[in-house]
Amino acid sequence: MPIVELQQVRKVYDTKVAVDNISFTIEPGTMFGLLGPNGSGKTSSIRMMIGITVPDSGSVSLFNKPFERASLKRVGYLPEERGLYKKMKVMDQLIFLGQLHGLDAITASKRAHAWCERMQITEAIPKKTEELSKGMQQKIQFIAALLHDPDLIIMDEPFSGLDPVNATLLQDTLIELRQQGKAVLFSTHRMDQVERMCDSICLISNGRVVLSGAMREIKSRYPVNRVHMTYTGDEAFLHHQVVASVKHYNGHAEIILRDSPDTAGEAQVLLAEAVARGTRISKFELMEPTLEEIFIEKVGGNHADFDLSSRPATVAAGDTLNA
Amino acid sequence: MHSIWLIARREYLERVRTKAFIVSTILIPLLLGGGFAFSILKGGRAKSAAHIAVVSADHQLALDLQDELSSGKHSQMTVEVLNDGPTTRKTLDGELASGDLNAYLWVTPADAPGGRPTFSFTTGSKADVLTQGTVESALRTVLIREQLNHRGMVAHDVDALLQPIALDTSQQGKHASGIAAYVGVVVMFLLMYMVVMLYGMNVARSIIEEKTSRVFEVLLSTITAEQMLAGKILGVGAVGLTQILIWLTTAVVLGSSSLAAAITGSGAQVSLSFKQVIFFILYFIFGYLLYSSIAAALGAMVNAEQELQQLNMFLVMPLAACMFALTPVVTNPDSTFARIMSLIPFCSPLIMYLRISMGHPQAWEIALSFVLMTITIYAILWVASRIYRVGVLMYGKRPNLPEILRWLKYS
Repeated sequence: MPIVELQQVRKVYDTKVAVDNISFTIEPGTMFGLLGPNGSGKTSSIRMMIGITVPDSGSVSLFNKPFERASLKRVGYLPEERGLYKKMKVMDQLIFLGQLHGLDAITASKRAHAWCERMQITEAIPKKTEELSKGMQQKIQFIAALLHDPDLIIMDEPFSGLDPVNATLLQDTLIELRQQGKAVLFSTHRMDQVERMCDSICLISNGRVVLSGAMREIKSRYPVNRVHMTYTGDEAFLHHQVVASVKHYNGHAEIILRDSPDTAGEAQVLLAEAVARGTRISKFELMEPTLEEIFIEKVGGNHADFDLSSRPATVAAGDTLNA
Repeated sequence: MHSIWLIARREYLERVRTKAFIVSTILIPLLLGGGFAFSILKGGRAKSAAHIAVVSADHQLALDLQDELSSGKHSQMTVEVLNDGPTTRKTLDGELASGDLNAYLWVTPADAPGGRPTFSFTTGSKADVLTQGTVESALRTVLIREQLNHRGMVAHDVDALLQPIALDTSQQGKHASGIAAYVGVVVMFLLMYMVVMLYGMNVARSIIEEKTSRVFEVLLSTITAEQMLAGKILGVGAVGLTQILIWLTTAVVLGSSSLAAAITGSGAQVSLSFKQVIFFILYFIFGYLLYSSIAAALGAMVNAEQELQQLNMFLVMPLAACMFALTPVVTNPDSTFARIMSLIPFCSPLIMYLRISMGHPQAWEIALSFVLMTITIYAILWVASRIYRVGVLMYGKRPNLPEILRWLKYS
């Protein structure tokens, strides 16, 4: 029984097609990644999912029923642009948002305190929102989305602007909620996070689905022809003929092997070459393309405004060798 | 309904707790009442203290005029009496230019004996209406007195004849003096203008604040734009009502105890009838609903308060029109002009209220004004809620008119 089901959803603003026949489903107890470059229609899709806008055609079902506003009490939403009342005190704000989602004031207050403790921001409780740091405000927003114990959690860029400690805290919380059987949809540019956390993804570009399905299944469509290795010493083995291209950084290389029916065997050859040259190897991993590579392959080429800034800086700093 | 209540309650509580609310509750009536008491005090006792010169061949006339102007009831002028000489006009013009003299009066004797002399009055500043008026009335008094003396009337009788008449203006059921009733009505008129304007703008500001802080996205994920709009208008309106109730209660208490009169010392006590209080509240509610709906649409269209300033005229213009109509309506509250103005929904809260206080509008006129306002409010809300629903999610450039018209069709 899917929690969310979008069927052939389409939305046009004036002449611009924001969302063009998008379909996907989200199952309970899974984490779903909605990916795509800026302006590809992620936010438009999410807005139709929670009834902020109405699709021109197609249908949206929540909790196995055609969309109805009552279902929204079971949805928690963290928008991309954070929105809190600046002048309101943190606790008043959380209680207010909790009440809007159908909680009574006492339950809302109890849960808000528990969540603040869990998110390690108890010292923020008596303050006004505008006095808090950006990261803290983000945690408040995060709590606001979860206070009413929603079965569907929609998070638009939940980790942006958070330091690694806090990002991990939120990430662990989301994983725990998934284990409790909640469905989590999140959109992000950070492909490493999606790869680690998501069970299935939908990649959209220019309002169309370009790739969707279970993470494992998508990965299996691609050949296992990537080698990531960490080493010290002689680098000459990188010029071996089995190497089609390589990005290499200080003591770390991301290698694409040449096309071959037996890439595993070729990898073996490469490893032997390195060992023969006396290179010390601390990591050698044979793998499919990363989600990031798939993403760039699908949308990178024809999308000028693809957000480079959110990719790890080291990739941009690497250089490419052709063997 | 519950969501509307929650939104309204938040809006109300957050606003009533602010310093701005407390300050405006105390300050606005102080400024309005104080300003009026001041202008009445000044206006009642205003005396021209100008320095003028009178050039006249008729020496007696000049001396009488000097006497009337320097120690008269309404003036304390310094008056020089001069004879017409070859350089007199030049000297006087020089003194006028240097500011030593405020004005001079040139009396040319009549051609035929017994006729009226002609007068020319030259002032340094045209704006000095007070001095001119005082000189005019002094001249009239002096001339009449002279003529009457000529016809053999005794000076004592002449003065008795020229006594100003005291008119008793107290009406049945209204014990306040005419001037006090007038002040009370105008203060209430200005108060209505201010609160309708202030709270309309508050709605717009509050929408812009939610828009810039992007709270909308979160709220819209549980409630509809219409619920939000309704909650906001009700919440802000309740704040306005609270403030008005505080003011009216204070005014009634002060008015009945004559405390205000004691404080201002002017005798201009502001007394409110029960009818004035009830209609003030009613017209505030309707006026506020009307203007706050417009303000809500304006707020949803723009991204920042600076942009709102440019659209303000839609709010200010109808209200300003009422301000211009104030004088003609006050002078004749039951004229055709006043009756038409009072039925225009945008003006009813101010003009009909004024007429209820000062004139005698028919009951059907009052009822009709409410019916027309209700229809207008409904129409504006219909448009505003559509603009609001689309506008709050639009960021970036301000929409132009064709875009806004398209918004009305969006679902």
